[in-house]
Amino acid sequence: MARMKFICDAERCIECNSCVTACKNEHEVPWGVNRRRVVTVNDGVIGQEKSISVACMHCSDAPCMAVCPVDCFYRTDEGVVLHNKDICIGCGYCSYACPFGAPQFPSNGTFGLRGKMDKCTFCSGGPEENGSEKEFEKYGRNRLAEGKLPLCAEMCSTKALLGGDGDVISEIFRNRVVKRGKGSEVWGWGTAYGKAPHADAKLELQTGTEK
Amino acid sequence: MTLALASQFSIAQQTNAGSRDAQAQSVQTPSAQPPATLPGVESVDILKQNQAERSQTQPGNLAPVFRSVADGTKHYSSLPALEAGVLIQGKTQFPGQGRATTAGEAWRQYRNGPLTMIGGTLLLLALAAVAAMYFFRGQIKLDGPRTGRLIERFTPTERTIHWSMAISFVTLAVSGGIILFGKHILLPFFGLTLFGWLAFLCKNIHNFAGPVFTLSIILFFIQFVRDNLPGTSDLKWLSKMGGLMNGEHVSSHRFNAGEKIVFWGVVVALGLVVSASGFVLDMLIPGFEYSRAHMQIASIVHVVAAVLAASAVIGHIYLGTIGMEGAYEAMRTGYVDDVWAKEHHDLWYADIEQGKIPRVRSAEQSIPEPVAHSGASA
Amino acid sequence: MLLTRKGDAASRTNNRFSSGLADTLSRALPTMDRRGFLKRSGIGVGAGIAASQLGLIQRARASGAVGEKSANSKIEVRRTVCTHCSVGCAVDAVVENGVWVRQEPVFDSPINLGAHCAKGAALREHGHGEYRLKYPMKLVNGKYQRISWDQALTEIADKLLEIKKTSGPDSAFFVGSSKHNNEQAMLLRKFVSFYGTNNTDHQARICHSTTVAGVANTWGYGAMTNSYNDMQNAKAALYIGSNAAEAHPVSMLHLLHAKENGCKVIVVDPRYTRTAAKSNQYIRIRSGSDIPFLYGMMYHIFKNGWEDKQYIHDRVYGMEKIKEEALKWTPEKVEEACGVPEAQVYQAAETMALNRPSTVVWCMGQTQHTIGNAIVRASCLLQLVLGNIGKSGGGTNIFRGHDNVQGATDVGPNPDSLPGYFGLAAGAWKHWCNVWGVDYEWVKKQFASQAMMEKSGTTVSRWIDAVLEKSELIDQENSVKTMVFWGHAPNSQTRGLEMKKAFDKLDMLVVIDPYPSATAAMAAMKVDGQELNPKRQVYLLPAATQFETSGSVTASNRSIQWREKVIEPLFESRTDQMIMYQLAEKLGFAKELVAKLKMVPGKGGMMEPEPESMLQEINRGTWTIGYTGQSPERLKAHMRNMHLFDVKTLKCKGGKDPVSGYDMTGDYFGLPWPCYGTPGLKHPGSPNLYDTSKHVMEGGGNFRANFGVERDGVSLLAEDGSHSLGADITTGYPEFDHVLLKKLGWWDDLTEAEKKAAEGKNWKTDLSGGIQRVVMQVHGCHPFGNAKARAVVWNFPDPVPQHREPLFGTRPDLVAKYPTHDDKKSFWRLPTLYKSVQQKNVEARLYEKFPIILTSGRLTEYEGGGEETRSNPWLAELQQENFVELNPKAASDRGIRNGEFVIVSTPTGARIKVRALVTPRVAEDTAFIPFHFSGWWQGKDMKEFYPEGAMPIVRGEAVNTATTYGYDSVTMMQETKTTICNIERFSA
Ligand SMILES: Nc1nc2c(c(=O)[nH]1)N[C@H]1C(S)=C(S)[C@@H](COP(=O)(O)OP(=O)(O)OC[C@H]3O[C@@H](n4cnc5c(=O)[nH]c(N)nc54)[C@H](O)[C@@H]3O)O[C@H]1N2
Ligand SMILES: Nc1nc2c(c(=O)[nH]1)N[C@H]1C(S)=C(S)[C@@H](COP(=O)(O)OP(=O)(O)OC[C@H]3O[C@@H](n4cnc5c(=O)[nH]c(N)nc54)[C@H](O)[C@@H]3O)O[C@H]1N2
Ligand code: HEM
Ligand code: HEM
Ligand code: SF4
Ligand code: SF4
Ligand code: SF4
Ligand code: SF4
Ligand code: SF4
Ligand SMILES: [Mo]
Repeated sequence: MARMKFICDAERCIECNSCVTACKNEHEVPWGVNRRRVVTVNDGVIGQEKSISVACMHCSDAPCMAVCPVDCFYRTDEGVVLHNKDICIGCGYCSYACPFGAPQFPSNGTFGLRGKMDKCTFCSGGPEENGSEKEFEKYGRNRLAEGKLPLCAEMCSTKALLGGDGDVISEIFRNRVVKRGKGSEVWGWGTAYGKAPHADAKLELQTGTEK
Repeated sequence: MTLALASQFSIAQQTNAGSRDAQAQSVQTPSAQPPATLPGVESVDILKQNQAERSQTQPGNLAPVFRSVADGTKHYSSLPALEAGVLIQGKTQFPGQGRATTAGEAWRQYRNGPLTMIGGTLLLLALAAVAAMYFFRGQIKLDGPRTGRLIERFTPTERTIHWSMAISFVTLAVSGGIILFGKHILLPFFGLTLFGWLAFLCKNIHNFAGPVFTLSIILFFIQFVRDNLPGTSDLKWLSKMGGLMNGEHVSSHRFNAGEKIVFWGVVVALGLVVSASGFVLDMLIPGFEYSRAHMQIASIVHVVAAVLAASAVIGHIYLGTIGMEGAYEAMRTGYVDDVWAKEHHDLWYADIEQGKIPRVRSAEQSIPEPVAHSGASA
Repeated sequence: MLLTRKGDAASRTNNRFSSGLADTLSRALPTMDRRGFLKRSGIGVGAGIAASQLGLIQRARASGAVGEKSANSKIEVRRTVCTHCSVGCAVDAVVENGVWVRQEPVFDSPINLGAHCAKGAALREHGHGEYRLKYPMKLVNGKYQRISWDQALTEIADKLLEIKKTSGPDSAFFVGSSKHNNEQAMLLRKFVSFYGTNNTDHQARICHSTTVAGVANTWGYGAMTNSYNDMQNAKAALYIGSNAAEAHPVSMLHLLHAKENGCKVIVVDPRYTRTAAKSNQYIRIRSGSDIPFLYGMMYHIFKNGWEDKQYIHDRVYGMEKIKEEALKWTPEKVEEACGVPEAQVYQAAETMALNRPSTVVWCMGQTQHTIGNAIVRASCLLQLVLGNIGKSGGGTNIFRGHDNVQGATDVGPNPDSLPGYFGLAAGAWKHWCNVWGVDYEWVKKQFASQAMMEKSGTTVSRWIDAVLEKSELIDQENSVKTMVFWGHAPNSQTRGLEMKKAFDKLDMLVVIDPYPSATAAMAAMKVDGQELNPKRQVYLLPAATQFETSGSVTASNRSIQWREKVIEPLFESRTDQMIMYQLAEKLGFAKELVAKLKMVPGKGGMMEPEPESMLQEINRGTWTIGYTGQSPERLKAHMRNMHLFDVKTLKCKGGKDPVSGYDMTGDYFGLPWPCYGTPGLKHPGSPNLYDTSKHVMEGGGNFRANFGVERDGVSLLAEDGSHSLGADITTGYPEFDHVLLKKLGWWDDLTEAEKKAAEGKNWKTDLSGGIQRVVMQVHGCHPFGNAKARAVVWNFPDPVPQHREPLFGTRPDLVAKYPTHDDKKSFWRLPTLYKSVQQKNVEARLYEKFPIILTSGRLTEYEGGGEETRSNPWLAELQQENFVELNPKAASDRGIRNGEFVIVSTPTGARIKVRALVTPRVAEDTAFIPFHFSGWWQGKDMKEFYPEGAMPIVRGEAVNTATTYGYDSVTMMQETKTTICNIERFSA
């Protein structure tokens, strides 16, 4: 079974925010809730500026999942980390635990009133029936069930953002890396999946990227 | 090798739709080939290279940037959210942890590990202790018979304050406890949906009861601080463990040292700590930066203080109810029998006898009829 | 518990959208095939969701359908094209019961492969249009009030007729739109002509007018020579004055792919932009100093003998003069003028010269200057020196602006030309009257005189002056008294303070726009102490968007795409063609306006001209630039079969459209113009202009013979042996007409019918297309001749491009060396100042009071004046406030911290309030403000002046409130890229 993952290729990402908007549009995500966001490192510093798009990485040993006091997270066969909004109590713990700042809340949290947590679903809805109205209202579209991949990745202006089977996307990425001549680390994979992608491990060795 | 590869790709580039399969194969080649010779051990300077320098020697190698990404620095993001610019939380190491990890990870390990385990154990120990106390020592009875003469120990205001504090505390402890331990204790029996509802209820009760508790401790402090100022008798009381074990009457003023410890330790110190951290968690402090790091720290402080307080309060509640004859009465009705006062708070009783302290301090109420008391032990 | 509930692999389907990322990637990066990807992703196998279930999934928000399971709900997919920029990204709109419920990427599109930028990814909001103008409104006592369409049209027409009668037809000015599709753009030009004026213009004026003029005068056509896709073939790319990563984000898909294949990317910009972040070499120049830099590069090229000597000999006229000029630009002079040290210039020159084909990309950084025409020509020269024009992977990739700015320039409302760059001479008028099916004499009668009919109108950049200037100084009967903004924002033109005065002086202002609110608020706003015409009338008419009509749109690469109508016009809005028709009815020329057009029922059953028939009218008349072969049928076939076109070449390898049976083999996607001859000739379109390596019938070409055959005794035609592949004439030749055809003995290749039509005509006016057919199909020649490119454009103020300092600058020392032009008394009907302004500024030592260079430009999330995009919550959230980019050093000198409010003041007296974005993107001497904001006026929120319900979510200070005077010496392009300002901390 495929293990769904994301890669954002910082050599390609141009901070165009298409991924962010695509997500909003597809899932009708309200203002203030950003399942995905784009961050520019070393903004304006010549030769050092890189942009990276980040959302829930669907971690292997997901801290959010472990810390949730009501255990409302679950993981699909495809490795997608989802949660049940009917059960979520909006405590915010997942957002403290998540290294990527993925969990989002519709309100500001005064008196702990945050509303139900919302985060990237890898475009695969939630526990409701696939493609149902209820699922859409709570979690947005279920593209995986429709045989499609995450819209953010599909619409990425430069194909910097890859979303899909971890093996496949790391291979696509690796091809780019090979063409660029030198190695490159896959951003965030260590944090999210505890290890470098299999294909790249070798490459990193070769080029000493880990340094 | 790179060159050979590059040419392969440029050929692949020329070809088209029909031969995509062939291209797909060509990409397999690199991994099939033996890796190029490893570059020699790179000098330490590489760690000091910035991205621009690194890109000169190794285009596409983003290690310098990724290093700064993982340290939690706030970078540029057009979104105004507080931590929108942080890609990965910085690293943290909480006391007792072996090494620094991503803050959220460190926090989850701390909370899910020591805090839950030790905290839970502590609470269980406290329960066990009072159980043992009750089992071995039994209720502390009055030595002499009741005189029927009553002293107003707590005015209605004092009682209201105490009870609002007590009720809010218990509410908080129970609801907080369910948030912290419920997953392990209740969830298996309740199932997700029911437990979800319960937890949701608890969480909201907790979030609103918190400020009530805070208000109560402030009032409580104002009301009771005078009589809880430490005195010389306290040391003696302490050295004799308040006679709790052997039933000896150790002399004390209105509040004995044990009570003062509860006052200062639990109400004042832990109460403040738990309230302050609670206010952070509740996002009630205007202008405060509600970053994840702050929340994690607040959460840990909160749980530690809460568990300590709860453990102490377990003991207190025990003594305030079944542990000691007449105590509960004092807090429920406000009045104690002269005997009770003499036996437990002789110095205070002496003051009353001497008229230094009026028997009845609340104006509205006259002394009620003495109630027949068989105590909780009946 | 719910663990692993979702892993229902069997439900993976293979519907129209499922091609997904994999397909895209395999096309963009042919490293993995789609099937393999799907297989290995674990998806794409197994039964798909049946169509009925798909309905369930897509049911969502269709009005009325929420909640109930409407079994008969109709789901359709309509293919359209993003309306926000010239890249031309295709979009599939999923429409259910008339509601646009979803938007899917079109992986098949060879242009964008499903990719979008933020704006394209947020298009569906146009299906909601929450903040649009919902019904016609009129300004009454300072407040907008709802009125009926009929009242609005009647009152507007009455006023227009009255103004025409009292002050003449030239007292009206119609600002058209690059947002109109080709059909509407053409119709508007017709509309304005029949009203009787040439006072019409559109965004191209303030966008790429200098490019169009400069490039067309250099080698023939005013357009991007190659395509975004073709950049995949480049070995080096010089971006100079383009921030494609923010302005044309999807173009970066192709560039970054090229880069992975070794293409070297150089970015020359005063700011370290997102594009620069992707470069191999970034060069920071002083704004406005591109010419010294470009000559600096040519200096090294000539010094090292890197120029393409054969190419120059064969195909370029006047290069010696350029070499002479370039060699004057020694590295010291270059460094002095643009601040770039020799080594960097050398490196750039070397990269471009040794990695050929190399391409040059430019955009507003070059065009929006008083010397824009010269700057763009300097870039052309660089490419001619390197022999890169007419080569795949080379070319001048001029990224155009709005989605249809290319099309609107080609066939739309231009003050100096009829559709197809025919000009305004009597012959041009007669040609178009013939095509439109109206009487030339009748049209002439509409104008003030034949002289006015043949005189270029004034420009949108100067409408302010056409209103405010004394009538006697304007080269027309009276000043302009009424403005019709038909798809153009106000905050995109410079000199906001004066614009407000002009707004207040008008007799009538009409805004026809889905989002007229910026103009509305600015007109309604009261400015203390400023005179207001008490009789002024202001009307707002809700226009439909391009998703509410169908029509064709020309992308930057000249490919034409057909948009299907997605939804019915929302609220009370009407399509532009319907409004034009209805207004023409009231004005009395409706019959003529649609003489040869098919009328169809539109919204509410009201009649409007059919887009297809309008396109056919364009096809019938636009021979000059080859808009003749792109029939609606061919374009629609392309849209349905995008997958058949190659991503790199845009060529169709083979295949028939299953619907029409049309065989697309050999066609280039969207039949990029020129696509000569009749549709029947099946010219495939021209992917790269002037490419001699291809036969003309395969899209090949050569430079155009548009400037005569010789100059001062020197031939302007191409040298022997230089011609497009397979041409019967193997040397240079002039453009074709009936005389030349007869001389060559080719006349008899025409059919009898063709002969009849071609007699007395040339390749541009022969409506049968016979001349073009014979020249191309039979003889392999190019109808417009085969000439040399002109390195020296003798009809321009600076035949050899010269550097001249901007009117408002910080370098008086350089003004002394490189002064601007002399003032012009009458230029596009208006007096236009250069030297007098520059001198005054130097004398007043403005550079001391305003020591920072202020430049402006784009953000990815917003487009143009921004009223549309700032009304889109998905975009608005991403940029909530306007800001000024300020270097950390400059900021700390002024005690300004990141995120604080600052006041930016300019010599006009404007003081605008924006946030400080303290960033090293800009150098100490430069500041940058995005221009997409409006709704604040010098620190005050204009909220109360907006028409109710039509205020965008995000408002902010418009940089153009503060911009200064200055216009290009050929096209009247406004200077928005270089002015000066002072920045101080805001204190309340
Ligand atoms: N997101 C978005 N995309 C758009 C548009 C939009 O509004 N928003 N508009 C479309 C339109 S209409 C157009 S015309 C294009 C414009 O696209 P671009 O021209 O690429 O965009 P700009 O930001 O206007 O300007 C480009 C760069 O020119 C630089 N510059 C300023 N002065 C100079 C100079 O003197 N020399 C040089 N070399 N560079 C200079 C600026 O720093 C800026 O980075 O974008 C189109 N695409
Ligand atoms: N300071 C500064 N100023 C600049 C620039 C700069 O870089 N700096 N750039 C300049 C450039 S390149 C350009 S192109 C201009 C762009 O500036 P504008 O073209 O003025 O800006 P837009 O907001 O795109 O205006 C298009 C209008 O058309 C409307 N519209 C959209 N679709 C339709 C339709 O189908 N029918 C009708 N009737 N209306 C429609 C929109 O609602 C919008 O109001 O700005 C110029 N101004
Ligand atoms: C003194 C009595 C209190 C006790 C025993 C107590 C206990 C707890 C416990 C055990 C938790 C769960 C921690 C975890 O699961 O990691 C918790 C959470 C919390 N407490 Fe308290 N607490 C007390 C007082 C307060 C006060 C005074 C406030 C606020 C003013 C407060 C606000 C919170 C908040 C906001 C949370 C986070 C839970 C959520 O929002 O869902 N608490 N508390
Ligand atoms: C249901 C629970 C509780 C019961 C039954 C209870 C009972 C009592 C009783 C009977 C007394 C009077 C003792 C005396 O007369 O000396 C008392 C005093 C006191 N109680 Fe409680 N109590 C409860 C909860 C709490 C809690 C939650 C707190 C603190 C967080 C608390 C803090 C105190 C303090 C500090 C005093 C002593 C007064 C002082 O030293 O100033 N009690 N309580
Ligand atoms: S990225 Fe955050 S929210 Fe997503 S699985 Fe990992 S920890 Fe959980
Ligand atoms: S916010 Fe919801 S999902 Fe997150 S930890 Fe709390 S209950 Fe779980
Ligand atoms: S995968 Fe889907 S839900 Fe997640 S960020 Fe992308 S679009 Fe949003
Ligand atoms: S769409 Fe792609 S390029 Fe654009 S910001 Fe997102 S990841 Fe980066
Ligand atoms: S704005 Fe331009 S690049 Fe962005 S989606 Fe639209 S057409 Fe494509
Ligand atoms: Mo533009």
